[in-house]
Amino acid sequence: MAILETDRLTKSFGALAAVSGVSLAIEAGTLHSVIGPNGAGKTTLFNLLTGSLRPSSGRIVLDGRDITGTPAHRVPHLGLARSFQRTNVFPAFSLLDNVWVAAFARAPSRRGLAWRRADRYPEVKERALAALADVGLAGQAERPVREISHGEQRQLELAIALAAAPRVLLLDEPAAGLSPEETKKLVALVRTLKGRYTIVLIEHKMDIIMSVSDRISVMHFGSLIAEGTPAEIQKNSEVRRAYLGGVAA
Amino acid sequence: MNRALIAILAAIVLLPFLVRPAIASEIWIFAIFGLGLNLLLGYTGLLSFGQSTFFGSAAYVAGWLMKIHGLNALLALIVGAGVGALSAAVVGYLCVQRSGLYFIMLTFALNQLFYFVAYQWTSVTGGEDGMPGIPRPAFLGIDFGNPVAYYVFVSVLFLVALLVMRRIVESPLGKILQAIRENEVRAEAVGYDTARFKLAAFVIGGAFSGLAGVLYAMLFGIVPLEAIGFVTSGNVVFATLIGGSGSLYGPVIGSFVFIWLSESVSTLWARWPLLLGVAFVIVVLFFRGGVVEAWARFSAWRERKWRSSRQTG
Amino acid sequence: MLYALMGLGLSLITGVLNIPNFAHGALFAIGAYLLASVANLIGNFWLALVVAPLGAALLGLAIEYLGIRRLYAAGHDYQLLFTFGLALILSEAIILVWGPVGYSHLPPPVLRGGVDLGFTFYPKYRLFVMAAAGLLVLATWLFLEKTRYGAIMRAGIENKEMVSLLGIDIHRVFTGAFALGAYLAGIAGALTAPIRGLSPGMGVDMLGIAFVVVALGGLGNLLGAIAAGLLIGVTQAIVAAHWTEASSVVIYAVMAAVLLVRPQGLFGIR
Repeated sequence: MAILETDRLTKSFGALAAVSGVSLAIEAGTLHSVIGPNGAGKTTLFNLLTGSLRPSSGRIVLDGRDITGTPAHRVPHLGLARSFQRTNVFPAFSLLDNVWVAAFARAPSRRGLAWRRADRYPEVKERALAALADVGLAGQAERPVREISHGEQRQLELAIALAAAPRVLLLDEPAAGLSPEETKKLVALVRTLKGRYTIVLIEHKMDIIMSVSDRISVMHFGSLIAEGTPAEIQKNSEVRRAYLGGVAA
Repeated sequence: MNRALIAILAAIVLLPFLVRPAIASEIWIFAIFGLGLNLLLGYTGLLSFGQSTFFGSAAYVAGWLMKIHGLNALLALIVGAGVGALSAAVVGYLCVQRSGLYFIMLTFALNQLFYFVAYQWTSVTGGEDGMPGIPRPAFLGIDFGNPVAYYVFVSVLFLVALLVMRRIVESPLGKILQAIRENEVRAEAVGYDTARFKLAAFVIGGAFSGLAGVLYAMLFGIVPLEAIGFVTSGNVVFATLIGGSGSLYGPVIGSFVFIWLSESVSTLWARWPLLLGVAFVIVVLFFRGGVVEAWARFSAWRERKWRSSRQTG
Repeated sequence: MLYALMGLGLSLITGVLNIPNFAHGALFAIGAYLLASVANLIGNFWLALVVAPLGAALLGLAIEYLGIRRLYAAGHDYQLLFTFGLALILSEAIILVWGPVGYSHLPPPVLRGGVDLGFTFYPKYRLFVMAAAGLLVLATWLFLEKTRYGAIMRAGIENKEMVSLLGIDIHRVFTGAFALGAYLAGIAGALTAPIRGLSPGMGVDMLGIAFVVVALGGLGNLLGAIAAGLLIGVTQAIVAAHWTEASSVVIYAVMAAVLLVRPQGLFGIR
């Protein structure tokens, strides 16, 4: 059963259709990648899924429930969490606080929101530390964000999404700006997350896509032009044409 | 009990021996006002340039109730905080939908709205002349006509306010507000209705401002029109920034600096707001980060000098 | 009309420089006082009308160059405090130089008296102000729309990085925009002097109105500022005719009402 579906999702800005009639079905527990040349509408698609943008038409269905038009701050509570293409953290906080804030949002009870001391929420702290541990940053929990490297910031970016205890993870170019070493570590990390979460992945680095994806959807100028297993996509001539041979298939 | 708190307690005890009790009271009252503003400015990153709206409204309403209806001190304080919170809810609701420059200008313009209402409604507020004759009703049988007794009352309330604010900023709410300041988009993306939280910050800040307003009215026995004017709004921003908006105690230090400065200079020269303006300009150009940061930088410099002299010596 | 002038100047400054200019009202006041002094000094209203706003513009230039330049990266709170401090300094300086009591200044002889419009007598001077302000707004509009400098300024509102990437010194653009905004405020003040008289507090009242105009028109939306200025001016005139005391409050109430319904102002884009 598809845990996340879109039905002819469209977003137009005036005459420009950034996303046009996209219908996707993401199966639970799989890693489904969305690829396409720059400007294909992939990040816009994510923005639609997470409620940052309202669709011009079409529907979004999560676990059988129509969630179209849900405002952005309610989306994590439905089980959908996202990491951003450009590192989007809380600069003045420590790593732990970064993740803590995300974890607290999803705490079952916000009792004492304004008068209980923040360190008296052991379950929240536990979940925050677990998220940091998942990405390999547990040892640096107290360090301020300013002091960590770019690669570690991308890991933190992921941890913030994990802290929301989602069912579906939307990862927007998690490997952006990473060195080959760091990229390998990231791929290993994503592999450990596979199966625990349903993952929708946007990436440009084809080797990652081909090695971790269960299914791939290809976007071009806002529409879906192809969908299938990595093997099928590699052989697809339309996909090749869209990339103009710029990527080794 | 940390060092800052001890220092403040010491200040509370020693201050009446250094300045007149009325001025000492004014310092703590203004500190309460600053604490309220700083929740918005320092913690949430919202520069509200109309805090006098809540300060003045509370002063007028509570003052009127005390004067005409003989409201007792405790109820007056509660009413004041309530009026402050309510007016902040209204203003905040209009303002949180905008950000950046728009937000600042809106808070200012709404402040002006309240100011002009107060200015024109002379039958109630006394217009330019202000609302005189605010009593200091007794509390628990203690007569507050004595300035020292009132000072004790004010400083106790200040301590309560400080501890409450400390609780708030150390709570999850405090963290969420700071997260909004750091990255509002992400705060929303992880699941917080940021508009609601900003409004909450407004209301809390408004309550503090209202409390300060009532205490101010009782201190001077009058609600002057300026209490709801933009100069008061500017003063509290200045005091908070000069103390350092990055810490809980910044507004307290700033209140000291500001009140002491303004009280000493205003008796010397009627045109003292000019010096105030000059002070603003100087602080902005040279002393950003305020006293707290200047002290931190000074301490760091001292550390380095001491360490290097140990190496060479 | 005057409100349109003030709004246009402030919108330009806030749009291009992205700072809260709390000194805008003070520049208005300076324009008025300079007019009065210069006119009294040399006995010629028209010359004073030319000189006074230039004085305001020069002051604006100095302010931008010496102060605001350093604060672009500092954040709105410090910029606000700076311009607010300036406003205080200027209004107190006015009291120092010209005394705390307001006074009036007559319009030049040729413009005194009224014009019979058929249904009412309308003061000649006010007609002149309307026409002059209208011309100024038009001239500024043409400058911004048709000339190269104007286009650069407008581009600066949209995208500052782009402008500097094109090799244009963005700081000169900022200085120019601030000076132009100051000029507009100054001449608005100069024109107002014979109508409303002069008082040290005239700057603050104008400042609030200018903010309302800009908030309604949309920050940096120059046409919006003009339209909003006209709207506010007309509204206030109508209200003042029927319920004088509420005329100030009404402006702010209208703003609050509009923003409740349309947070982006009447013409804002967001």
